[in-house]
Amino acid sequence: MKSVVTTVIASADAAGRFPSTSDLESVQGSIQRATARLEAAEKLSANLDQVATEAYNACIKKYPYLNNAGEANSTDTFKSKCARDIKHYMRLIQYCLVVGGTGPLDEWGIAGQREVYRALGLPTAPYVEALSFARNRGCAPRDMSAQALTEYNALLDYAINSLS
Amino acid sequence: MDKRFYSLFNLGEDQAIALLDTPQDQISEDDSRYIAASQLVNFSTERSIHALIRAVQQTDPAMENRIVRRKSVETLGRLQAVQALPVIYTCLSDEDCYTVENAVWAIGEIGTQDPTILEAVAQLLDKPGQTYRVIIHTLAKLGYQPALDRIRRFTTSTDLPTASAAITTICRFTRDYSQMGQVVGMLQHSNVLARRLSIQDLIDAQYYDAIPEIARCPVSLVFRLRGIRMLAEAGIAAGTIVFATLQPYLEQTLRDHPNDLGMVHSYDQPPALPFLVRELYETDFGRCYLATKTILDHYAEAAPAMLFATYAEEANNDYGAHFHVIKLFGWLKHAPAYDLLIEALHNRQPQFQKSRAAAAIALGELGDRRAIPALQACLDTKIWDLKYAALMVLEQFGDLSSYEKVTPDDDWSVREKAATKLNVKR
Repeated sequence: MKSVVTTVIASADAAGRFPSTSDLESVQGSIQRATARLEAAEKLSANLDQVATEAYNACIKKYPYLNNAGEANSTDTFKSKCARDIKHYMRLIQYCLVVGGTGPLDEWGIAGQREVYRALGLPTAPYVEALSFARNRGCAPRDMSAQALTEYNALLDYAINSLS
Repeated sequence: MDKRFYSLFNLGEDQAIALLDTPQDQISEDDSRYIAASQLVNFSTERSIHALIRAVQQTDPAMENRIVRRKSVETLGRLQAVQALPVIYTCLSDEDCYTVENAVWAIGEIGTQDPTILEAVAQLLDKPGQTYRVIIHTLAKLGYQPALDRIRRFTTSTDLPTASAAITTICRFTRDYSQMGQVVGMLQHSNVLARRLSIQDLIDAQYYDAIPEIARCPVSLVFRLRGIRMLAEAGIAAGTIVFATLQPYLEQTLRDHPNDLGMVHSYDQPPALPFLVRELYETDFGRCYLATKTILDHYAEAAPAMLFATYAEEANNDYGAHFHVIKLFGWLKHAPAYDLLIEALHNRQPQFQKSRAAAAIALGELGDRRAIPALQACLDTKIWDLKYAALMVLEQFGDLSSYEKVTPDDDWSVREKAATKLNVKR
């Protein structure tokens, strides 16, 4: 799994040199932000289902089609929503917060996934809308500290950006 | 192309164009230019195409605008808008790698033999940080042989899907298919994307020999069926293969028993049942199938109660686990699941579509003949895999009356299935 440390070492290795001062500074910067990231990961972990459901609700509201007879949001049995995909992305974001890099999203959420969505004609807009909702919904200090929120939002932006 | 989701947004052409033309800072909170750019795929008109071109020309680098540009490029590709090629060409030098990726893909969809455009695409292979797999696919699709040596460098890429695309393209360009075994080998790789995406390369290479291996690949049956069908369509049209050759693999895949799959994961120790049930929620279906197989082998008695519990709690909303729970009730021949399976058979929500054919197969496993009318009714839908599965199960029940119901406008595989059976009957 890629993290800031493995990335720095791998690129130094590839260039046949030891990690430079600026490489080490970037590792240090990441470690300094670790407390904020871990706070965000912990808060997200406690509320992951709620955050995902809220985000999914927001996109259901935006797409009236899903409320038509026979569609995703119309029957009593299936009244609570399918938040599976949003949860998947939230888990990847949480994992990224812990490792301090975008590796988990890159490897499991983005690389190749864009091709799958295109090939199968799957809509990316609901994911983008739901994650954007989560992005705008987060609030400091209510949900987490300002620094933690910055780290969390940066990863949401990264996911939105790369899915679209 | 499956267009099930195209009408998701309920937005007319005029509205979508107006939204797309609205400056980003004047967009209300409830509106989205991104959705407008997606929605215009439903309107192949000059007006829509020009609106999308205008959106691509809005080069504000803010993320909200960047994602609209990318989506507009993609939609122009889907609309095969030849008049958009000049503006899409300018995107090849964009700093944003996803805009470049979408532009390359769109050029492949639209199609061109303009050497300037093709060489510009090929030169991206030398630029760091690009999605090389998509670049290679487009060059292959458009037959740009001058890129051959540049593509060859990627055959040993550590990114397996990129290596897979490169190997396939070299084989296609040189007409020497001796290396395709490497791509077939990826069907059994532990990386789920390598497995899924190698199927696309086998389709592109029209590598019919891989059909049995595709049928055994532990990914969602959606990917396997797509691969087998696309290869079948190409092969039958070319006169290279006949339906009877691929029919067993198509039906094995529709049946989808874990014993017919080559597993790529394993457990270091026998897991407990709650862990296995949790595994049914995984996004890597290879893990779900392994869990299903282990449940069948070790927990056939205890599993139904826990499956009902997880269904009530969560799987009814999770289209992955929903599918696997339905399948398991069938393999376990668990009669009390009958009503749940009938409900799944009729479930019209788009994300649960693959559970419908699964429910048909499961009802066949239960062997309860009360299901016959419900299965016959499935033949009136437009969903080929559901119809095909229903025919398989009705045949199992000894009910061939419905074969006559298959009409000339049905899916080709459904027609072939019916014809094969009726010929045998005669």
